Amino acid sequence: MVNPVLLIAVPLGLAFAIPLFGFISQKLEKYIPPVAMLFNLIVSLSLIPKVLEQPIVVSIGGFPPPFCINLVAGPVGVLFSAIIALVGFLVSIYALDYIKEGATEKYHMLYLLLLTGATGVVLTGDIFNLFVFFEILCISSYALVAYLGNRAGIESAVKYLIQGAIGSSLVLIGVALLYGLFGTLNMADIARNIDSVSPISVFVPLVLLITGLGIEGAIFPLNAWLPDAHSSAPSSISAILSGIAIEVGIYAVARVIFTVFGASSIFLFLVLLGLLTLLVGEMSAFSQKNIKRLLAYSSIGQIGLIVFALGIATSYGVVGGLFQIISHSLSKALLFLAVGYMIYRTGSMDISTLDGMGKRMPFTSLAFTIGAFSLVGLPPFVGFPSKFLIVRAALAKEEVLFTVLIALVLLGTVIEGAYFFRVIQTLYFKGKRVSPNKREEAPIAALIPIGILMILIIVIGVYPRLVTDILNSAASELLNRIGYIKGVLG
Amino acid sequence: MSFLNHYIYYIGAFGLIFIGLYIVLVKHNLIKVIIGLSIMETGVNLFLISIGYIKGGTAPIFSTPEIEAARMVDPVPQALVLTAIVIGVAVLALALSLAIRLYQHYGTLNLRKIKEQRW
Repeated sequence: MVNPVLLIAVPLGLAFAIPLFGFISQKLEKYIPPVAMLFNLIVSLSLIPKVLEQPIVVSIGGFPPPFCINLVAGPVGVLFSAIIALVGFLVSIYALDYIKEGATEKYHMLYLLLLTGATGVVLTGDIFNLFVFFEILCISSYALVAYLGNRAGIESAVKYLIQGAIGSSLVLIGVALLYGLFGTLNMADIARNIDSVSPISVFVPLVLLITGLGIEGAIFPLNAWLPDAHSSAPSSISAILSGIAIEVGIYAVARVIFTVFGASSIFLFLVLLGLLTLLVGEMSAFSQKNIKRLLAYSSIGQIGLIVFALGIATSYGVVGGLFQIISHSLSKALLFLAVGYMIYRTGSMDISTLDGMGKRMPFTSLAFTIGAFSLVGLPPFVGFPSKFLIVRAALAKEEVLFTVLIALVLLGTVIEGAYFFRVIQTLYFKGKRVSPNKREEAPIAALIPIGILMILIIVIGVYPRLVTDILNSAASELLNRIGYIKGVLG
Repeated sequence: MSFLNHYIYYIGAFGLIFIGLYIVLVKHNLIKVIIGLSIMETGVNLFLISIGYIKGGTAPIFSTPEIEAARMVDPVPQALVLTAIVIGVAVLALALSLAIRLYQHYGTLNLRKIKEQRW
């Protein structure tokens, strides 16, 4: 059996080895992130059959839990680490050709650190360790947002850093309060003892943790940094931030609510918060003229949908939410990667300058179209089964409230469709100025990851059974906290 | 006065946290905002330390046989604080280097005047 520690240790070690490889050859640096992520992808996929039977608990230092820092590679952790490795691998191939200027070795190092932090967050079983990995993720993403060094990038990075630093301070206060109450940092051990103290004293750390982690997860009203940061970063980083970083934030919120606190009384609040995030995100996206800002606001909307689905907290709802995370990671990464070279060719982020792209860059435009259709939820793309599951979960509640709420969610989807179809119309049907025989397709290193993402979106959309096993057991890990506690503490 | 004796560290810690938060929310100058973040972090670190503190307690090392475990200061929060300080230094360094770049681009550190990115 492969030890899940390698999922964190190998990319972390390689990240710090990148400057050393630079001594051998400057060209070697950029091939390190794909190698590390390919390794992670293979290890995660090979762990899936084992964790479907029972979670793998790794105790570091030889002490039994709860006295050690432990890694819990359950279905949720391995599912997320596989998504992170997959998207990270594809985006790092894209970056081989896309990142040419500036301090490239720092880019690749920070990129690998960001993914290491994300993998650490989803695998750890210790709440302070979660905070540390979260900080690795956040600090590298602050620096990467500012990578281009232009006015917009620096300004957004400053905004992101101030809000993120407040968030991490709140998380740390929450962790300190939990330690003061329970004398332990192990999430399973806290979860076991959570009912032994009065609900009021648990409420304050819960609020602090949700607020702090929610800033990184961009839950409304904590999402002010997101549109700036995602639109000013290099496109490969936007793809990672949208496709991975905010999902990891949502994972942390879900883990805290479902497993650590078992706070079933705030599920309805989560549903309403998700709906609000969805509507605010989609309505703001509708009025955007900048293509990357449009995609960033659409990410907020999708995050709202995920939170909504997780808040339903039935088996169908959580499966739908996790499925939506997969669908959003693949589709939004594809959209940002496709848009990256369109912006590169036109030199502007304005949607109106994209007209005629369907003829200039046919493959990239096709990729954008598939990603957009998938996010809107059209069959046969991966967005369809995930949205379908969420609607089904809400209707299965058989309450009038949820029927009304899901109607509002579908209204949000209609808005989403409206703005995406407007962009697609610009791509294909407005190109009168450009002569049709002028082709400027993206380079091959960008087309390979775009192509793989397109194939994955269609394949998973047609055969959702490929992922249902791992999704079902991941949902039951989140919903069944007694099982999680028993799995970790024995 | 016994109230103060018991809770003085907690009062101090939360005082620092709220002072820091106030500075971050109210001040316009980026350097002052960064100072606010730093004060807030110091408050959080003080809070972590005071959770494990015992008045007159010793270091958790069994150097002589008569030391009993109940009189020892909890070492875990101190380890946490060390980590948190290192993270704080990284954030602070990044924030200050961003502040330099921001000044190069805009010629000002007043955050109210830097408004190119809007909703």
